[in-house]
Amino acid sequence: MNMCFLFRAGAVAALLTLAGCASSPGGSIYVPIGGEASRAPEPPRTTGESQEPKVWRKSEQPEVVEPAETAPDTSAPSYRDSGESLSPAALSLVREADSLLRQGDAPAAIARLERAQRIAPRSAEIYFKLSEAYVASKQLGSAEQFTLKGLSLAGNDTSLQRAGWMLLADIRRARGNVAGADQAEARAAAL
Amino acid sequence: MKKSNRTPRSNKKSPRKSSNSGRRPWFWRFFFRASAIGLVLLAGWMIYLDAVVTSRFEGRRFEVPSRVYARPLELYDGAGISSGALERELQLSGFRKGDGDKAGSYRRNGGHFVISTRGFRFPDGEESRRKLALNIYGDRIRDFSVRSGDASPIVRLEPAQIGGIYPSHKEDRILVQLEEIPALLPTALMAVEDRNFYDHFGIAPLSIARAMLANIRAGQIVQGGSTLTQQLVKNFFLTRDQTLLRKGNEALMSILLELHYEKGDILETYLNEVYLGQAGTRSINGFGLASQFYFGESLKDLDVHQIALLIGMVKGPSYYNPRRHPERAMKRRNLVISEMEEAGLIESARAAQARGLPLGVSERPSYSENRYPAYIDLVRRHLARDYREADLQSEGLRIFTTLNPAIQYAAEFAVTDVLPRLSRGETRKALEAALVVTSKDSGEVLALVGGRDPNFAGFNRALDANRPIGSLIKPFIYLSALAQPERYTLITPVLDKAFTLEFDDGQRWQPKNYDEKERGEVQLHKALSHSYNLPAVRVGLDIGVNVVKETLQAFGVTSDISEYPSMLLGAVAMNPVTVAQMYQGLATSGFNTPLRTIREVTDANGEALTRYSLEVDQVADPVAVHLVQYAMQETMQEGTGKSAYYTVPDELALAGKTGTTDDGRDSWFAGFSGDLLAVAWVGRDDNGPTSLTGASGALPVWSRFMAQVPQHSLSPVVPDGVNYYWVNGERQALTREHCDNARLVPFISGSEPTQEVSCSGNLQRRIKGWFEGLFQ
Repeated sequence: MNMCFLFRAGAVAALLTLAGCASSPGGSIYVPIGGEASRAPEPPRTTGESQEPKVWRKSEQPEVVEPAETAPDTSAPSYRDSGESLSPAALSLVREADSLLRQGDAPAAIARLERAQRIAPRSAEIYFKLSEAYVASKQLGSAEQFTLKGLSLAGNDTSLQRAGWMLLADIRRARGNVAGADQAEARAAAL
Repeated sequence: MKKSNRTPRSNKKSPRKSSNSGRRPWFWRFFFRASAIGLVLLAGWMIYLDAVVTSRFEGRRFEVPSRVYARPLELYDGAGISSGALERELQLSGFRKGDGDKAGSYRRNGGHFVISTRGFRFPDGEESRRKLALNIYGDRIRDFSVRSGDASPIVRLEPAQIGGIYPSHKEDRILVQLEEIPALLPTALMAVEDRNFYDHFGIAPLSIARAMLANIRAGQIVQGGSTLTQQLVKNFFLTRDQTLLRKGNEALMSILLELHYEKGDILETYLNEVYLGQAGTRSINGFGLASQFYFGESLKDLDVHQIALLIGMVKGPSYYNPRRHPERAMKRRNLVISEMEEAGLIESARAAQARGLPLGVSERPSYSENRYPAYIDLVRRHLARDYREADLQSEGLRIFTTLNPAIQYAAEFAVTDVLPRLSRGETRKALEAALVVTSKDSGEVLALVGGRDPNFAGFNRALDANRPIGSLIKPFIYLSALAQPERYTLITPVLDKAFTLEFDDGQRWQPKNYDEKERGEVQLHKALSHSYNLPAVRVGLDIGVNVVKETLQAFGVTSDISEYPSMLLGAVAMNPVTVAQMYQGLATSGFNTPLRTIREVTDANGEALTRYSLEVDQVADPVAVHLVQYAMQETMQEGTGKSAYYTVPDELALAGKTGTTDDGRDSWFAGFSGDLLAVAWVGRDDNGPTSLTGASGALPVWSRFMAQVPQHSLSPVVPDGVNYYWVNGERQALTREHCDNARLVPFISGSEPTQEVSCSGNLQRRIKGWFEGLFQ
């Protein structure tokens, strides 16, 4: 691995950390237990707390159309333009992983990142971080896959996309896939 | 300690004849020879007994079963869990309701919890003791804080032990170690059975005398004379005949045992070995299993009166069987409590209170601590790839699984609640089900139900019921097609019209729709969401059965897939876990994630042996998968999965697919939300017909499950290279949002229609749309 590669991986890492910190709270639709609470085994509402507000959060999706339509039999299939951002809990695990990586303990960093991934499975940042940890442990095949997975969740976040494509280019080059690397670089440049 | 290498020697071997032929009288010669033979025989016999007893003892002593843990619950702001589920989880992990200050206790006030953790050593580091406070609001954790201990925004609870992997021979057992046994048990046991246990050398002639005396005084047999060591030896060899020879052997072996081993080792082995009852052909050995069998509780949780009952039963497990002879057992138990009191082990008040309690025996015998037999079965099979069964049973490994008890609870409830309502008469009794739940993006198996009785450790349908998957195959047919955007888009018209296929051998095949209707041209997305057979077969044949087969294989199907066209209607047998594996890739935009039940295995000292890491592997183009996900969401909103929303809140966006085979022999449903993927199967073990379809059998089970778990909606990120357009599908043209027949559909870039139709009709809608646009 050449110095340039390491430098760029570092730059990507720094960018990711920034991205993780900077992104605003995501708009994921979280749906608590609902439906026929009477038949559910365990009514989710605690006793005597009827003032508990319902937190149905509506999606921010542009295509959720005509809420007032008379025949709302069909709501359109859902999608989103960007992935989710990291919660403080996941971010704290990513930070731990970062410091473990700096100490050269990639396996421990991976364990932390997997915990973070379980908490925030739809955040592109986590997968890029995992990729970084796999680069550090010289498992470039896994690193490439995690980068691709991260890219699939980057949505329209240009800085995340660019970070991902650059990371992918470096990994592919290190694996000897020059054409693939060039392709990825071109994608990054086009953003 | 090493295993003894000595092998049993034959005691029949004759000694070498003495060549020392003197002129002594014959009598002396005979005496000398006889004693020599006798001595050699005895020595040989001792060596033999020694080998037997040590090998038996060693074999037992080192069999420490593997402990299997559920996934630890992670507590942090925003974590999704209901108050009830958190309380259940705490109890499962051994927390007690209390002040919340003592380690291992919690306090709950509505949605407010204060929890004092005990700390736990995880393979990746120590989770220290902490006192936590949090509120649950709308099924989410809020205001999480660490009140004492190291500050952290996220804390793991100690994981619940959900089972063990025990030796599989007939004598099931739950091994206990001295340090985890309540102190009262061994001391009371000694008080009753062997007062001088720590002083004698295996046999205690004095005890026999004292026992006789005590028995005479009590007017009945209250004490036995044999030592715990002797009882252990007796248990090892399980012959109960009262012959002198056996008594002699027993005494010799007891002395040999005491020569070799520490008292503590002998006591521990005794506690794990003693015979305490019979369950059919299986014997109940050891206090650990007996505690489970009679009380359904862990040994460490037993109360004084329960401990006393078990100790009392040592004397005669069938005579004092508390289920069959409760009065006898009660009398014996109270006697033991009195002995405990007399020996100063418990206070008089406590003894009196204990004597007043009922036996506390559970009604139904519970045989093992494995609460989740189907899940543990899958864990075992995964472990079998890397570990020898013998090591799992005896090396005391610690296995950290991915089981989520709250999700498992919901899954079991869904099956047991819904199944009895699905059918009538004979079929109802025969109806069986399986349910697999995985975490969508990590591939972790969170819950597994293997049949209608989740506690029954028998045929595991989630793993062993290989059944044709029916229409569950269709998303893969259309995925293969949509991966060729120059030929297929979601609005491509496909023909819903009967046809006959003639094979070379003259055989004919005539596929039909489930409702036996034909609709002419339908758009591809509708053909999938409504699960029409004829278009699926036509599209499949058009792109090639082998291409569909390759898609399936890419998504992780390893079993044989025939290349007959009938495969396009799901004539491929799979078990529910394989289906879950296959659908994982669809749920995660084309990334295969190997299903995992184990995160980590450590040895008895907590050193990591194997880690099973998260893996992802891109097996399909995310753009094509996104299109299929669109149609699978449509299935839930307009198609065959619509009825899910009778049960599931409307806000929860889902994607899924039904599957039905001939005469309702198999009813399938596979689907996912933002967090979870679940596959349900309903059918009969005898493969008999039912009146069910995927929508009326498996779907109710699936949606009942989904409705119980707080989770995120499915809202897939639009991948690079996909754009949404308002289109008029019938005209195969772009249109405007508020026009007639307008539908927002994703297209792989470049495959969208080129011409545009002007907005026709419905002026009212257009005006409404215009105003909406104005005030947005």
